[in-house]
Amino acid sequence: MSEFIYFAICFAALALCLIYRLIKGPSGADRVVSADAMDTLVDMALILFALYTGRSIFLDIALVTAILGFIGSVLISRYLEGKL
Amino acid sequence: MRIVIDILIVLSILFALAGVVGIIRMPDAYTRMQSSTNVSTFGVLGVLIAGILYSIIYLGDVSMAIKLAVLIVFYLITSPIAGHAIARAAYRSKTPKTPQTIVDKYGEDLEDE
Amino acid sequence: MKKTTAAAFFGTLIVCYIFWLLITGQIVSIFTGDASWQILVAGGIVSIIVSLFAARFFIHKKAFHLYNPIRFFLLLFYCIIIFGWELIKANVSMAIRAFGSTKNLKPGFVKIPTKLKSDYALAMLSNSITLTPGTITMDVVEQDGENYLYVHCIDAEKEDMEKAGKDIKGAMEPWIRRIWE
Repeated sequence: MSEFIYFAICFAALALCLIYRLIKGPSGADRVVSADAMDTLVDMALILFALYTGRSIFLDIALVTAILGFIGSVLISRYLEGKL
Repeated sequence: MRIVIDILIVLSILFALAGVVGIIRMPDAYTRMQSSTNVSTFGVLGVLIAGILYSIIYLGDVSMAIKLAVLIVFYLITSPIAGHAIARAAYRSKTPKTPQTIVDKYGEDLEDE
Repeated sequence: MKKTTAAAFFGTLIVCYIFWLLITGQIVSIFTGDASWQILVAGGIVSIIVSLFAARFFIHKKAFHLYNPIRFFLLLFYCIIIFGWELIKANVSMAIRAFGSTKNLKPGFVKIPTKLKSDYALAMLSNSITLTPGTITMDVVEQDGENYLYVHCIDAEKEDMEKAGKDIKGAMEPWIRRIWE
């Protein structure tokens, strides 16, 4: 179905809106929060693209992106806490 | 069936929009974190459930549906862990709270120790 | 560092292997009869290595607690019906708050008591609280034999500890006790 690509563009546009908070965010925690949400939104765009093409190889990439985003945000928050 | 799939995805885009607007508008880091939970629950679930329906009904590809279900479980397990890791880190690194905060039991008890 | 027990090892191994079958799509091929044995053997080796190293972080006691089918279906019922309803309510109210005025928000850090004792139940309760928009668990402490959760709540109008706890935990706590204890 061709409307999936438009929905994917919507998610990518929402992720672009978050760059505002990523650049401006007064503290480190704000940046981590917005980066985490951006990762989730890009992941959703990737899943919709996988549905659009009908190839499940993109789902593996989406899973890897999700894992990397999770590890990244936990790692940065450990660093902010001063335990790294 | 097509219309159900589209409605699910549009709902999930609306909730993701609410989360993004919340992250941009809210006054401090903790309340922004609350809004970001909005993105990682319903923003995710709508798309993934629609994906499961679409891949079973239109693509006839069951292994793709199983992968999407695994992604749901993965998101439900990892996003709260990341959430409270960030929240604790924000509190311990003394991120400023908004002046609207009315009670702070955590700070009082941390000072006692 | 805790030691790896045999029960913990096998509990982790089964979960790892099921995850491998699901993610490679072999679980469909087993039913249609064209599974390739190379993938199955490779998954077995990888899950043995992973669970040797990771079992001591996941399971400390009662390794086969969730392999009981009654508990597993209770868990599924909790995740889909009870928790799903809480999720819908919290998501809608949080979305309305995001578009509305941010001047009259009353966020606060509250401390709520809980009657749960086991580690898994506490972890599941705090994860459920974090996953509902509007509340985030910050810390779990034990004082005088009772467990307390520190929760950042976006609507902390109630000063009283018990009332705030009832508001935040909702119907989740008795179900989690039924699953884990």
